[in-house]
Amino acid sequence: MDSKRIGLLAGCIMVLAGCAGSGGSIPVVDSGRPVSNEDMQSGAGMPAPTQQQTQPQQTDGGVVVLVPDGEGGSSAVESYPLDSAPISSQPSTQTPASSGGLQEDEQLAGPVLALLTSARQQESGGDLSSASASLERALRIAPREPQVLFRLAQVRLEQGDAAQAEQLAQRGLSYASGRPALQASLWGLVADARERQGNSAGAAQARERAKVAL
Amino acid sequence: MGRKRSKRAVRKVGFWKRWSGLLWKLAIVGLVLFAGLAVYLDAVVQEKFSGKRWAVPAKVFARPLELYAGQKLSRDDFVTELSALGYRSVSAVKQPGQMSVAGSRVDVYTRGFQSFEGSEPAQRISVRFSGQQVTGLSGNGEVVMARIEPLMIGGIYPAHNEDRILIRLDQAPPYLVEALVAVEDREFFQHFGVSPKGIARAAYVNVSAGGVVQGGSTLTQQLVKNFYLNSDRSLIRKGTEAIMAVLLELHYSKEAILEAYLNEVFLGQDGRRAVHGFGLASQYYFAQPLHELELHQVALLVGMVKGPSLFNPRRQPERAKKRRDLVIQMLEEQGVITEEQAGLNIAKPLDVTVRGTMADTSYPAFMDLIKRQLRADYQDEDLTSEGLRIFTSFDPLLQLKAEQAVETAFKRLGDRAGKEMEAAMVVTGAQTGEVLALVGGRNPRFSGFNRALDASRQIGSLIKPAVFLTALEQPQRYSLITPVDDSPITLPAEQGKTWSPQNYSRVSHGLVPLHEALSRSYNQATVRLGVDVGVDKVLQTVERMGVQHNWPAYPAMLLGSGAMTPLQVTDMYQTLASGGFNTPLRAIRNVLTAEGEQLSRYPFKVQQRFDSATIFLMQEGMSRVMAEGTGRSAYNQIPSDIRLAGKTGTTNDLRDSWFAGFSDDLLAVAWLGRDDNGQTRLTGATGALQIWSAFMAEAHPNSLSEVPPGDIGYAWVNRLTGEGSDPSCPDTVQMPFRAGYEPLPGPGCRPLIDTAPVKEGAGRVMDVIRGWLQ
Repeated sequence: MDSKRIGLLAGCIMVLAGCAGSGGSIPVVDSGRPVSNEDMQSGAGMPAPTQQQTQPQQTDGGVVVLVPDGEGGSSAVESYPLDSAPISSQPSTQTPASSGGLQEDEQLAGPVLALLTSARQQESGGDLSSASASLERALRIAPREPQVLFRLAQVRLEQGDAAQAEQLAQRGLSYASGRPALQASLWGLVADARERQGNSAGAAQARERAKVAL
Repeated sequence: MGRKRSKRAVRKVGFWKRWSGLLWKLAIVGLVLFAGLAVYLDAVVQEKFSGKRWAVPAKVFARPLELYAGQKLSRDDFVTELSALGYRSVSAVKQPGQMSVAGSRVDVYTRGFQSFEGSEPAQRISVRFSGQQVTGLSGNGEVVMARIEPLMIGGIYPAHNEDRILIRLDQAPPYLVEALVAVEDREFFQHFGVSPKGIARAAYVNVSAGGVVQGGSTLTQQLVKNFYLNSDRSLIRKGTEAIMAVLLELHYSKEAILEAYLNEVFLGQDGRRAVHGFGLASQYYFAQPLHELELHQVALLVGMVKGPSLFNPRRQPERAKKRRDLVIQMLEEQGVITEEQAGLNIAKPLDVTVRGTMADTSYPAFMDLIKRQLRADYQDEDLTSEGLRIFTSFDPLLQLKAEQAVETAFKRLGDRAGKEMEAAMVVTGAQTGEVLALVGGRNPRFSGFNRALDASRQIGSLIKPAVFLTALEQPQRYSLITPVDDSPITLPAEQGKTWSPQNYSRVSHGLVPLHEALSRSYNQATVRLGVDVGVDKVLQTVERMGVQHNWPAYPAMLLGSGAMTPLQVTDMYQTLASGGFNTPLRAIRNVLTAEGEQLSRYPFKVQQRFDSATIFLMQEGMSRVMAEGTGRSAYNQIPSDIRLAGKTGTTNDLRDSWFAGFSDDLLAVAWLGRDDNGQTRLTGATGALQIWSAFMAEAHPNSLSEVPPGDIGYAWVNRLTGEGSDPSCPDTVQMPFRAGYEPLPGPGCRPLIDTAPVKEGAGRVMDVIRGWLQ
């Protein structure tokens, strides 16, 4: 009889204690997404990833780049990633049906072009960090492509890193011989970056080089 | 009797009256104490369960493999990486994590992942290969590019720590929950934390089996035991455990408890790292994400809960299989699976990954580099508990090739290598400055002295490019063909001594073109050149190339008596490889928090230190080292049409054997030597170059670009004199110069009119005249 009472009391206390705790009795939702390979997957149990931003899409044209001109305005310059519109006149060694008979050079340009396009979209959406990541990815694929360096320099300038913008543009210039339009754009960017760093004499010099290149 | 009875009753009542008061008091005191304990335990239960439940060590990932037409990647390497990631070979791919290899085509259903570079969808793609290249991708229509999820290469743990990969309940594969409940706690979904029925059954089973076969603990109790309590086996602890189990069940749903259990349970010991939770166990034993596991794999893990070391599938495969099959049979008995399913799964092998394969190996040298870089930026506690995800530039395929190159070279050296000989190697992206592979010693699995980072050794002739670069920066005085004097020289040295450097061959060569002095690594010519441009200038050049040092400006520095680590040498040569731009070496690309937020970026940075035209000339000179100089044996292993640049390094008495060199895309530095700085009897060419060449032969480097930057002009010069010449002359070669400093063309050697017949005629006339005279 007494043990019963004690049991009852104990039960009551347990319930009370249970309710008295800090968190209430709602099942806890695991806060914070777990960290894992698991989590990197979009497989079972994962919500399907929202339509990826960087999934590259083949675009049909070149990339239109707004290039500041000497007068401080800007003009659209159409240029092609991976130097010179495809030169190769020899037929591709193998032409798989799915590739639509693209020349090898164009195929090589595919990923770089796609990443430049993604970067453009991310940049216009204000996501400079992602734009930068896309461009660095493009640079790993085509490290000597001045167009990629030019775009990365532009993004750095927008990110407020004028010193790196200048350096990246200079590196672009070291790979841009024989491409006067691109050289002019790169010099223009160097000028802007120098201006931003308070070096107006250097900026003026760079603008001169930009004119000469054109 | 009645009286007696009543008396007894009275007495009883009296007794009760006397004692019940006390008992009541005692009971109340006990209850209050109990209540206090319960409230306290409840607070403990809730606090730990609702907060951050586990300290999760940071995980380090390799680079994700990029796929696109034109990508340099062989089919075999691709399959190697997919296998390491736990992709299973099937005849037709139907779901993520499967691949199918047929001829030069690999079909793969990628898993998809999220990283700082955006999310990659899971998709079915066909990758076509030709030799060392990807020639095309196709999937749902044309696929421009795709990525494979990065391999996890390690974590950052304190000395003794639990490691885990957190999973959610909905990520559990089919049969995991069923099997766990069937084996460990059949009443899990019915009981309230403790299971009297379970205890009774366990007792019965144990008694009839004559030993402990089954535990009576519920899953909840097991969780409480592991999660909140230490592992002593006292009754008090059992009691506390039971109370806490009931409290836990009061507050939280069965699902929440089960999920916590799946993440908490101990499933193995990996050195000093404890493997906890099914998420990590799945990676650790199968290299696969948990949700992909099949029934036989699930059964193995569930069977291991009882005794992870007892049933370790790698050490005790037979015992583990028996246990696994028992679990499968239990599922069949309970009607969860059919008899046929059980039979099929019992017939399957354990399928655990093999130690030492890419799926299950350690990279202590690279991890050491990562940790050092992270410790500069983060607190130890953040690294070991916050579940950070660290994305690196590590390339497991190149790492494998680097390790194999070291192994191959040691095999070839045979006895000459000896037991004492050690090695180190650094591989970076020549243009990006990203560290791709790192070997810290002859045994790449040994985590101890990391020679790539810490062995600071004399660099010998590796310094020479700095001497020649300093000279070439003065185009008015030096070009690649400027004659330099390779003749004996004596210089004052420290403390009134003199220094008379010798050539390696002990032969002096007199006047030689500058490029030849570099490619043949002539010491006397180099010292004369260095003294000419100034030792201090040369040492400044070394700093501009990226290595800070405190070397005194002694002439002996011109032959590399200063010391560097392999990583520092890499930094120095990186500037040569990337056209004069110094790029700080990077191994980390990005750090994400557990929530996927970007914590820090390590962006690509460059700084121009040298004119790209001057560097182009240096690259030309260093490519001659490979084509005709001390590095030419590399072409015994590498196709001769691949243009490479490099430099051998040998130190006094053959103590260190160095080679540093690059292609368009890869830079590699190799070192051979002894930790006690003893003699190796190897030169740079006979030692380190052999490692380097073996690596490059397998890495299939891209030929170094011959496209000149602006400010380069070509001219025809006499190979021997260095004077301007004409293509019509013998011994004439085309040479790059700094624009504006080309020599004037020499006179042609072929007259405008072909004079041979005239000469012939004249000869005949002379014969006639001679005849007359006789």
